[in-house]
Amino acid sequence: MEYWEKEIETMPRNGLRFLQLARLNTTLEAAVRSSYYGGLAKRDRSFRTRVGEVAELQDFPFTTKQDLRDHFPYGFLSLPTKEIIRLHSSSGTTGNPTVIYHNRHDIASWANLMARSLFCAGVRDTDVFQNIVGYGLFTGGLGFQYGIERLGALSIPAGAGNSLRQIKLMRDYGTTAIHAIPSYLGRLLEVFREEGLDPRTDTSLRMLVIGAEPHTEEQRQRIQEMYGVKAFNSFGLSEMNGPGVAFECEFQQGLHIWEDAYVVEIIDPATLEPVPDGEYGELVMTTLDREANPLIRYRTRDITRIIPGECPCGRTHRRIDRITGRSDDMFIIKGCNIFPMQIEGVLLRVPEVGDDYRITIDTVAGQDDMIVEVEVKKEWFRGDLQFLDALQKRITRLIRDEVLVSPVVRLVEPGSIPKAEGKAVRVFDKRIR
Amino acid sequence: MAYQVSIFLENKLGHLERVTNVLKNAGVNIRNMNLNHTANGWGILNLVVSYPELACNLLNQNGLSAALRKIAVLKMVDKAGGLDQLLKRIAKAGVNFTTAHGMVLEEGKIAFFAIDIEDIPDARERLEAVGLEIMPDNYVYGTRFM
Repeated sequence: MEYWEKEIETMPRNGLRFLQLARLNTTLEAAVRSSYYGGLAKRDRSFRTRVGEVAELQDFPFTTKQDLRDHFPYGFLSLPTKEIIRLHSSSGTTGNPTVIYHNRHDIASWANLMARSLFCAGVRDTDVFQNIVGYGLFTGGLGFQYGIERLGALSIPAGAGNSLRQIKLMRDYGTTAIHAIPSYLGRLLEVFREEGLDPRTDTSLRMLVIGAEPHTEEQRQRIQEMYGVKAFNSFGLSEMNGPGVAFECEFQQGLHIWEDAYVVEIIDPATLEPVPDGEYGELVMTTLDREANPLIRYRTRDITRIIPGECPCGRTHRRIDRITGRSDDMFIIKGCNIFPMQIEGVLLRVPEVGDDYRITIDTVAGQDDMIVEVEVKKEWFRGDLQFLDALQKRITRLIRDEVLVSPVVRLVEPGSIPKAEGKAVRVFDKRIR
Repeated sequence: MAYQVSIFLENKLGHLERVTNVLKNAGVNIRNMNLNHTANGWGILNLVVSYPELACNLLNQNGLSAALRKIAVLKMVDKAGGLDQLLKRIAKAGVNFTTAHGMVLEEGKIAFFAIDIEDIPDARERLEAVGLEIMPDNYVYGTRFM
C-alpha cells in the first residue's frame, strides 16, 4: 500500500488524539483573536482556550452558517488582513456571502490535504488530470488545481462547460483522470455519443473523481459503467477549505476524513446530541490546521454517518458515508427522520419510473401522510391496469423498507413533475402546525 | 385482429379533453370508449378509434402514455338477453377477460362487444372454436366505406 504521508495517514488512534489535542488548543487560541470568538469567549464560559481532551469540545457552542453571515466580512478573521493571501466566498444570493480567508500556511496545508486525497484515490505524478469544474471563488477549481500540482501530476485547468472542448482536451493530451460534478458527466457522455465517440474506448481515462453534489451509490455505478472506469467520491465544503476534507481510497468503502486537520462529530440535528458511530446525523467539524479563519464546531448541515470498523487500506482516519442529504431537507413523519435522498435512491432502482419525483407531506384525516409522486416511463406502459397496480405496490414496499414509513405512491403522467435543475425543491410540507 | 388504444390518465380536470383534442385535430373518429379509474388517482382510458396506430403515435408524441392492445370484437343482437347469450359462449370458450366495452351499431339489430385479449394468446382460436364470429377490422374501426 502506498501513502502520501504514511506516518500521519496510518498513525495509531491514540497518537492521532494527541496530535488533535495539541492542534485544537493552538486553534482555540487563534480563534479568540477573531472578534466573533473573542466576544463569545467573554460572554459564554463554555468557550475556553485550553482543553485537556478533544472530547471536551462537546461543551462548546456551535458555529452556524448564519453566524458567518451575521459577522460578515471580517468577524471570523484571526489575523490582520496583511497576512491574508486569498479568500473564497459563496455567491451570497440569499443574504451576506459566507467568506473564508487563507494565509500562506492555510493554502499550503489545504494543497497538501488535497494532494493526499488524490493520492489516496490512486492519482500519481504520471497522471494527466483534467479539472472540469469552475475556477474562481468556487473552491473546486483552485482547490484541486493546487492539489494536483502539489502531487506532481500534469494538470489541465479546463474549467466548467464547453463539452466539445473538454473532449478535445481529453483526446489531445491523453487525459487519464478527471474531476467533475456527477450530473455533468451524464451531459458530457451525451456529447461523446453525438460525436460518435465512446469514452470507454476513445480516451485514455483510468479514473474519475466526482463530488460537490450529493449523489447516490446507484448514480456512481451508472457513471462507472458509462465511462468504464472507477469513480471516487470527493467531499468538501468551502467553510472547511473546500475539496480535500474527505476522500475515498481504492476500496471505495466510504470517505476517509482527515482527522489531523479536523475534529469530526456527528450529532442528531433535532436534539444536538452526539449519535453513536454508524448512525446517521449532521456532520459537525472543527478546523485544526487553519490559522487565518479557524472554525469551532461548525454545523455543516450535511447528513452522513461514521462507518464503523477499520478500512483494509490501513489508514486510521475514520470514514464517513456518502452525504445522504442536508439537515435542512430532513423531515420527520410518524417519528421517523427522512431524507429526500433516501427516496431518490429507491426510485433509481425502479427502471419503470423516471428520476424525477415529488414528495408532499399532508395531514389527511388527522394523520400525516407522505405522498410520493413518480412518473411512469412511456416505454414501459403497456396499457393495462395490472402492471401499474403492481408497480405502485412495489414502489410502496421499497420505500417503506427504506424509510420505515408507508408512503402513498401516486403514478403521474410523464412530464408532469418539473425537471430537476440543480438543487430542486422536492419536498412540500403542507402540514398544519 | 383489431386494436384499441389504452391511455394512462391522471384523474384531473381537463386531462380527458387533452386526449380528445389531439384526436379531433388529426381527424380520428372515436367509435367507443371506456374509462377505468382506480382509487389511486389515475386510470386507463380505452378507445376504439378509426385509426388506432395513428392515434397511438400522436398521443405519445403529445406527451401522453398510450399503448395498442389487441381486442376481439364480437357481434351480438341488440335485444334483451343478447349479451347474456354472448357471455355464455365466451365462458364456454374459456376466455377470461378483465376489460370490455360494448356498443350498439344498429338499434334493435346489431351490437358489438369488445374484449381485451392482449394477454390471452390463444383467445381468437378459442372464441372461433365455439362458433363466435370475430368482426373484421374495418367494421370495428368504421372505415368500411372509406
